[in-house]
Amino acid sequence: MSVIQRPLALLVGPQEMGRTWYFWVGFVIVIGVGAAAPQYLGRFDLLNLANFLTSIFLALSLCLIWGFCGILSLGQAAFLGLGGYAYGVAGINFIESHGNTWAALGIGLAVPVALAAVLGFVMFYARLKGVYVAILMLVVTLLFETFLNQTAGQGWFIGDAHLGGNNGLGRFSGVIKRPPSFIFSEGGIKFLGKSYAFFYLTFGLAVLCYLGLRIMVNSKLGFVMVAIREDPERTEALGYDVRLIQLIVFCVSALLASMSGILYVSWGRFITPDVFGVYNNILPVIWVAVAGRKSLTATVIGTLVLVWMSQRLTETDYAFVVLGGILVGAMLLLPEGVITGIVDRSAGLRARLAARLRARA
Amino acid sequence: MPLLEVKNLSKAFGGVRAVDGVDFSLEQGELRSIIGPNGAGKSTLFKLLLGSIKPDKGKIWFRDRDVTRAEPHTRAHMGIGVKFQHLGVYGDLTVRHNMQLPLQHSLSGEAMDAEIARLLERLNLAGTEERRVAELAHGQRQWLAIGMALAMRPVLLLLDEPTAGMGPEETRETGSLVHSVHEEGVTIVVVEHDMAFVRQLGAPVTVLHYGRVFAEGSLAAIEDNEDVRNIYLGASRTMAVRSRRH
Amino acid sequence: METISFIVGLLYQYADTIALLALSAIGLIIIFGMMGVINMAHGEMMMIGAYITSFSYYAGIPTALAVIFGGIGAGVAGMVLERLVIRRFYGQLLSSLVATWGLSLILSQGALLVFGQLIQSVPTPFGSFTVADLSYSYYRVFIFLVALVMIAGLWGLFRFTRFGVRARATMENPRMARALGVDTTRVYALTFGLGTMLGGFAGGLLALTSTIGPFYGMTYTPQAFITVVVGGGAEVVTGLLASVLSLGAIKTIFMNQTNILLGHVAMLVLAFVIIRLMPSGISDWVERRQVRVRER
Ligand SMILES: Nc1ncnc2c1ncn2[C@@H]1O[C@H](COP(=O)(O)OP(=O)(O)O)[C@@H](O)[C@H]1O
Ligand SMILES: [Mg+2]
Repeated sequence: MSVIQRPLALLVGPQEMGRTWYFWVGFVIVIGVGAAAPQYLGRFDLLNLANFLTSIFLALSLCLIWGFCGILSLGQAAFLGLGGYAYGVAGINFIESHGNTWAALGIGLAVPVALAAVLGFVMFYARLKGVYVAILMLVVTLLFETFLNQTAGQGWFIGDAHLGGNNGLGRFSGVIKRPPSFIFSEGGIKFLGKSYAFFYLTFGLAVLCYLGLRIMVNSKLGFVMVAIREDPERTEALGYDVRLIQLIVFCVSALLASMSGILYVSWGRFITPDVFGVYNNILPVIWVAVAGRKSLTATVIGTLVLVWMSQRLTETDYAFVVLGGILVGAMLLLPEGVITGIVDRSAGLRARLAARLRARA
Repeated sequence: MPLLEVKNLSKAFGGVRAVDGVDFSLEQGELRSIIGPNGAGKSTLFKLLLGSIKPDKGKIWFRDRDVTRAEPHTRAHMGIGVKFQHLGVYGDLTVRHNMQLPLQHSLSGEAMDAEIARLLERLNLAGTEERRVAELAHGQRQWLAIGMALAMRPVLLLLDEPTAGMGPEETRETGSLVHSVHEEGVTIVVVEHDMAFVRQLGAPVTVLHYGRVFAEGSLAAIEDNEDVRNIYLGASRTMAVRSRRH
Repeated sequence: METISFIVGLLYQYADTIALLALSAIGLIIIFGMMGVINMAHGEMMMIGAYITSFSYYAGIPTALAVIFGGIGAGVAGMVLERLVIRRFYGQLLSSLVATWGLSLILSQGALLVFGQLIQSVPTPFGSFTVADLSYSYYRVFIFLVALVMIAGLWGLFRFTRFGVRARATMENPRMARALGVDTTRVYALTFGLGTMLGGFAGGLLALTSTIGPFYGMTYTPQAFITVVVGGGAEVVTGLLASVLSLGAIKTIFMNQTNILLGHVAMLVLAFVIIRLMPSGISDWVERRQVRVRER
């Protein structure tokens, strides 16, 4: 197969829903409608949509490790938050003074991945039970929250960046420097948080990540991931180093989560220790579990719907009770996820209908 | 040096000594049956041989190397192929994708397709490439699991209850398959409950009981062994006593 | 003089840390040891215990009884949740984790909606005593003793009662236990109730020393999680003991020499070191040692 054919074949491989021509027609329409958003959305709504889109990376990060590799992490926000802080601190030091966005981005991505590599090495090479991995990740992220909350003192400067305790990085601008947006000195391209450019950047990255992950889960590595999810012992017997693969996937997932954090910081130009808190950890679990953890497509759609819904609900006091109820309800009634459940059921229905038609003919 | 040598191998789960000081060795090209009552430690022994469980005590040598601490994937590449008792085939994937897992280490493209076709032919599974594994009959899934172990091109093949859930006809075919693989020079150990199948194999037998090697010898010698017959009966008798006490 | 007050202070702190860890983890580790399930709503069970304690206290009920009511209330709540939700997830460990986390969200946010940010806290009883010019709370010492009694009681329960025998049989091998006529569903339900009751009781006890709000339990759960990870599930009592003694020691030392945050970090780091050395927790490791010693 040629260089182009192969990735295309992987794009529609069996590990992900959407292998029909009408799926891709729908996909192109969605991309078109999305890309045209600046034409019909007001400034505020567009800003909001860009913010929604940053959640997708976090959701996909959990979908990848939990849905495809069988590792549940209840602390994905650790990577989001660390990415955000690392980018913010580096940005204040590099972008403001030297205009070096690439360095800030690199640091924002590298720090969380390094954390994932260390934690993952300890946990997976010890063949730790899944429940332990899940709760240890939660403990790790909550400790980051506690730690950053007590960095209000004057001692907590990294270069020009003040960690700022519970006010966070750059919450109160003025004396203290705020984390900058992406500014590329080559060609003077800026992605200011409130601009169209930022919306397109996030949108484009989300689409790329979605397509890239589709290729990944249908690659050789993707099949091995699923094999590990289904039966790690058997997968070892087939000659795969399960620990190493878990570690690699965990690092990729940290990378995705940190993209959420970096985009969030460059969007709003601040970040507080709250990003490490319980809500940022349970929300992705809700999105992914309710939508359907074994599907990237379901995850993206479900996340957008649920984020939009919770924003509606935050005007009431019931938001989290409702979300918790949706989670428990979905787990009880459609444990594979609502969207996946509907798709599977309608496929079953179609098959039965076709069979009946054939029988009649 | 034998192909595989095991000395004083032991593994306990909590208070249960699943494998308890087993000595065991296999020459290159041997075919061996392992029998023993339920819970005798047969499956645990296989897991220790592959390395998915690490022993509390004892040593394992394979192809002149001490592999006691080696990881399972390393041993798999050294030539230990296993079909575990639980099937471990991937139900949501097609037969082809299942077969790709062991093959994609070394093959791709047309070479892979040819090899899959060759193996499936041999396993009586020709034509099932695109079927979801969950849709296969139980016996076919057993064959697929054996096929995935074979696809690793093992030097030593461990089969844990390969005929479980099969009818007599399928069991016989499995027997011929084992013989034909053996004739190619692969060393094979089969754990089996079904004495008819053990007879069909006609190979020397090792009897495990409470995690220990209870008896070892030719098929005929083992079948005539009074003690061996007793432990099969005795095992059910102690069970009855135990449950009454509760 | 200086050294005496330093040593007394350190011991007091150690006892207090042990009590906190043991109380907040005991219910969690029972459920984990028996069913492999980590109850993410454990903090909310503590919260329920604390709320009932406070309401009972201000309804004129004596403090001791109020705390006991707290335990009973959480136990009942736990049994109800077990019946309605948790039972559906046995054998699916990660799903049960997610489902109980959902319950935790509902309960804490529900409490926030119904009762607001804070409810009235209950005064700490017993007063204080002085050693070498520093004053200590009698109640803290009392809590430590209660924690010890609870651990001992748990040991006795598993050792000597019919429920304990059944529970251990179920833990060791559920399928075998069922074959021998143990109603494992009931054992699980009762264990879950017992675990949440102990959580509620701990919540009530600790409520007398702090402010009470909807997220009250969440201050204790991270430590409780670490305690469970380090202890493992193989032998609930030995695991819990070994875990609280070791974690308590490291936390006390770091807290005493630096600050509480580093105390927590040190606990987490110790947990990672321990799982690297003994992946199934201390209790499993201890158990294997015992088998080896018996063999000699
Ligand atoms: N992972 C495990 N945890 C606890 N006990 C186990 C485990 N695996 C096996 N056992 C116990 O070890 C003993 C031997 O089991 P096994 O090797 O499966 O026997 P066999 O395959 O001969 O029937 C049994 O008592 C079984 O309950
Ligand atoms: Mg077996």
